Amino acid sequence: MPTIALRGISKRFGSQVALRDVSLELGRGERVALVGENGAGKSSLMNVLYGLYAADTGEVRVDGRPARIRTPADALALGIGMVHQHFTLVPTLTVTENVVLGREPTRVGQLDLPRARAEVLATCARFGFALDVDARVDALTVGSQQKVEIVKALHRGVSTLVLDEPTAVLTPQEADELFTVTRRLSDEGLTVVLISHKLKEVLAFATRIAVMRRGEKVAEVRPAETTPESLAALMVGPRGPRPASVKAAPGPVVATLHRVSAGRLREVSCAVRAGEVLGIAGVDGNGQRELAEVLTGMRVPDDGALVVLGQRGALTPGRARALGVRHVPEDRLRHALVTDFSVAENAALGRHRAPPFAAGARIDVAGRLAETQALLDAHDVRPRAPHLRAGALSGGNQQKLVVGRELAGAPKLLVAVQPTRGLDLAAVDAVRGRLLDFRAGGGAVVLVSLDLDEVLALSDRLLVVHDGRVTGEFPREAFDERVIGRRMLGVLDA
Amino acid sequence: MLEATPTPPGRLRRAARELARAALPSVAPILTSLLVCFVAVAALRGGVAVAVDAFLAMTWGAIGDVPRLLEGASVAVLLRPWGESATKAALLTLTGLSVAAAFRVGLFNIGAQGQLMVGALAAAVVGAAVELPAALHGPACLLAAALAGGLYALGPALLKLSRGVHEVISTIMLNWVAVALIENWLVPGPLRAQVGGGNSVAGTAQIHETAELPRLVGEVSRLNAGILLAAGAAVVLWLWLARFVGGYEWRAAGLGPEAARAAGIDVRRTVLRAMLTSGALAGLAGAVLVLGTEQRYPATLGAPYGFDGIAMALIGQGHPLGVLATSTLFGGLRAGGTRMQLFGVHKSFPELIQGLALLLVAARLVWTKLADRWLPAREGGP
Repeated sequence: MPTIALRGISKRFGSQVALRDVSLELGRGERVALVGENGAGKSSLMNVLYGLYAADTGEVRVDGRPARIRTPADALALGIGMVHQHFTLVPTLTVTENVVLGREPTRVGQLDLPRARAEVLATCARFGFALDVDARVDALTVGSQQKVEIVKALHRGVSTLVLDEPTAVLTPQEADELFTVTRRLSDEGLTVVLISHKLKEVLAFATRIAVMRRGEKVAEVRPAETTPESLAALMVGPRGPRPASVKAAPGPVVATLHRVSAGRLREVSCAVRAGEVLGIAGVDGNGQRELAEVLTGMRVPDDGALVVLGQRGALTPGRARALGVRHVPEDRLRHALVTDFSVAENAALGRHRAPPFAAGARIDVAGRLAETQALLDAHDVRPRAPHLRAGALSGGNQQKLVVGRELAGAPKLLVAVQPTRGLDLAAVDAVRGRLLDFRAGGGAVVLVSLDLDEVLALSDRLLVVHDGRVTGEFPREAFDERVIGRRMLGVLDA
Repeated sequence: MLEATPTPPGRLRRAARELARAALPSVAPILTSLLVCFVAVAALRGGVAVAVDAFLAMTWGAIGDVPRLLEGASVAVLLRPWGESATKAALLTLTGLSVAAAFRVGLFNIGAQGQLMVGALAAAVVGAAVELPAALHGPACLLAAALAGGLYALGPALLKLSRGVHEVISTIMLNWVAVALIENWLVPGPLRAQVGGGNSVAGTAQIHETAELPRLVGEVSRLNAGILLAAGAAVVLWLWLARFVGGYEWRAAGLGPEAARAAGIDVRRTVLRAMLTSGALAGLAGAVLVLGTEQRYPATLGAPYGFDGIAMALIGQGHPLGVLATSTLFGGLRAGGTRMQLFGVHKSFPELIQGLALLLVAARLVWTKLADRWLPAREGGP
C-alpha cells in the first residue's frame, strides 16, 4: 500500500489551470522523480502536498487515511518535508540554530544551545552527514547549505522528503554526493520525491518517473524502460530539431582583460574574440559575476587594465552599451526588466533614446509599438501583448524578451549570465539558439553559467574560475567534465 | 496571435475601462470614506435627515450655492465658493505634485512643507522688495519661489546620493529648520514689516500689487490664477512622465533603479532633477499662498499644506492628473466644510474624510483585487 496518495488533485490560479486531476502514489522508500517543463505543475503539486497551496479538488491520503494538510506545519506533523529551490536558511545563524529553528529545545524559555547542538550532532551522525554544526550558514558552500536543509527536514523526523531542483546550483561532485546520500536514506526507508529538469540525473537516481505536462500527469515510467529522448518528447510533445552547432571561426579580439581585480575577481587576464562563445564555468560566488559586471560597465575594476571594443579604461553601463556591449543579467527581474512597466516599455529599455523608440525628446509611441510587435514575433514571446505588464509574463517569456531586446540593433559583445536558469526546455532551446545564431553572425558571447552542462554544450572555449582566479582554460576539443569539475573546486593537479 | 484593430467605439470603451481600472483604487476609498463619515454624522448628530442637510451644505459650499442661484440670487453665490475651493485646490495640487514627482523616481519627499515655506518667503521678499511691471513681477516672484524650494530640496538629494542619507529623515528635519529659520527668526525679526509711526504688524511687508496673482472674475471672488498654474503644472508633469523620454527615465529609475542603471540611465542625475522639480513645485505652492491669498509672509503659515500634499499624492496614486482631481475634490470639501458647523459638525470634518480615505488607499491590495473582479484586464492590455 502506498504511504502517500494524492488523488484527483486540481488547482486553478484565476483562469489558469495549474493542476488538472493529478493522482500520484508514493510508496515507502521509493525515489520518485517529477519531470516536466516550467509551469507543468511539478512544484504546484508538491506545494499542495506540503500545505503551501490548498487544492481546489482532490484529496491527500497518508497511510490510507484522508489527511488535512493546510500548512507546512500540518505536512511536517505527517512526516512530509520539502527542500525548496531557494533555501530557507537564516544566513547569520549557525547550522545548529538553523536546524532547530521552529522547534528549539528550551530551558526556562531560553534556547538550550548545548542540548540543541547535541541533538543536531546526533541527527547528523544517524544519517551520515558530516557538517560543522557551529559554522555560520553564510560561511558554507551552496552544497553544504543544501545539506543543512536536508538535515533540518530529517531532524523533524520526516519520512517523505521532497527535493525541488536540488542540483541547480551544485558542482557535479556535489550533485553526486547529494544523490549518494539521498539514495542511502531511501534504502533506509525514506521516501524521496525529486523535482528536476535534468533527465540524466533523473534516469540515474529515480526508481519511478512521473512526467507532467500543462498541469496533467501524462506518463509514469520506470527508468529502465525509457531514454532521455523519449522523456523529453513526453514532456514537451513534438518540437523542432535543436540548432546545429557550427564550428567556430574566431575573429578579432573584441575585449581584453589584463590582470583585472574587482571584488572577488583577482588578477584575471583573458581575451574575448568575435565569433566565439567564451564560457565561464565555476561554482557560484567565485568571481564570475564580477567578471560580467566589469565587462558591462556595471562595476569599476579595483585594479588592472580593460579594453572593450577599442576603448580603454573604466566603463559605465551607458558607455558600454554605446560601444555595442549587451547584457543578459542573471537576475532578470532586478537588472533586466522593470516589472511594473509594460512589455513595450521594457522592449525600449536601453534603446529608449533613439528611433524608433524616440522622436527627439518625445517617446515615439507608435514606433515603439511596431518595434515591440516585431520583437515579440521574432522571438516568439507569448502572449503577443505589448501593453501587458512585463511582470505578468512567465519567466521563459520574460527571458525571451530580454534576449531579443539585447540582441537587437547589431551588438558586438553579449555578456550572458545564467541565461537559461529556471526556464523550461522549449525556452532553453530558444535562448541557446539565439546565442549560437548571434555567434554564427560574428558576435562575441561571454557565457557565465553555473550549469556546467550548459557551458559545455555552448562554449567554443572555456575558462574555469575558482576563488577569483582562472584555474583552467580549455578549447572545445579538450572538454572533460571530470577535469573541469576538479578545477572548479580549485584542484589543479589532474 | 493576430489582433483585429479595434473599431473606434471599441477602442473608446476599452480606454474607459482602463481608466476605471486605474482610478478605482483612488475612487473607491474616497467614496467609502464619504459613506462612513456620512453614517457617523447621521449617528451622532440626530439622524439621516440632518446628515443629508449637512452634506448638502458642504456640497453647496464647495461648488457654489446652486439652490440660492435658482431662487434668483446673483452669480456671486457661485463665484465666491469657487474662489475658496480653487484657492485650496491649487495649494493641495502643487504640494501633491511635489510629493508625486519625488515618488515617481522612488523618493519620499516629506519636506514639501519646508520647501513651501522657503518658497513662500522668497515670493514675499521679491514681491515686496523689488519693483517691476505687473507682467514681470508675478513671474519673478514665482521663479524665485520655485528656485528657493528646489534648492531647499537639493540638499537632501545630494546627501542621499553622496552619503546614502535617507531622504525621509533629512527632509523632515529640514521642515523644522525652515520653521526655526523663517517663523522664529526672519519673519518676526529682520524681515518684520515696518509700518509708519514705529508700529509694526505681524509678518513681512505687504507685497506690491504688481506681484499679486491676477483675480479671474474681479473682486467678487478670491478666484485667482493659482488654480490655472496648478492645473498647468499637473498637465505638464503628466505629459513629461507619459510622453517624454526624460519622464520615461524617471519612471524607470523609480520602478526599477537597478534595471535603469543597467540600461545606461544616469539614475543619480534623474534623482537630482526630480528632487529639484519636487522642491520647486512645493515652492510654487508657497508663492501661490503669498501672492494669491496672504499678500505677505504672515506670522505663521497656519495650514500644513505640505503635509496634505503627501495625502494628495497617495490618494491620487502619484499620477499628476489623479493628484489634480483628488486635490480639487478635497479643496472643495475643505472650503465647503465650514458650512457644516451649522449642523454641529466641526469645520475640520473634511480632514477626517481625507484621513480616512488615506488609510483606505493604503489597503491597496483590496482595491486592486476588486478592480480585477469588476473590471478584469484583458490580455493585450489597454
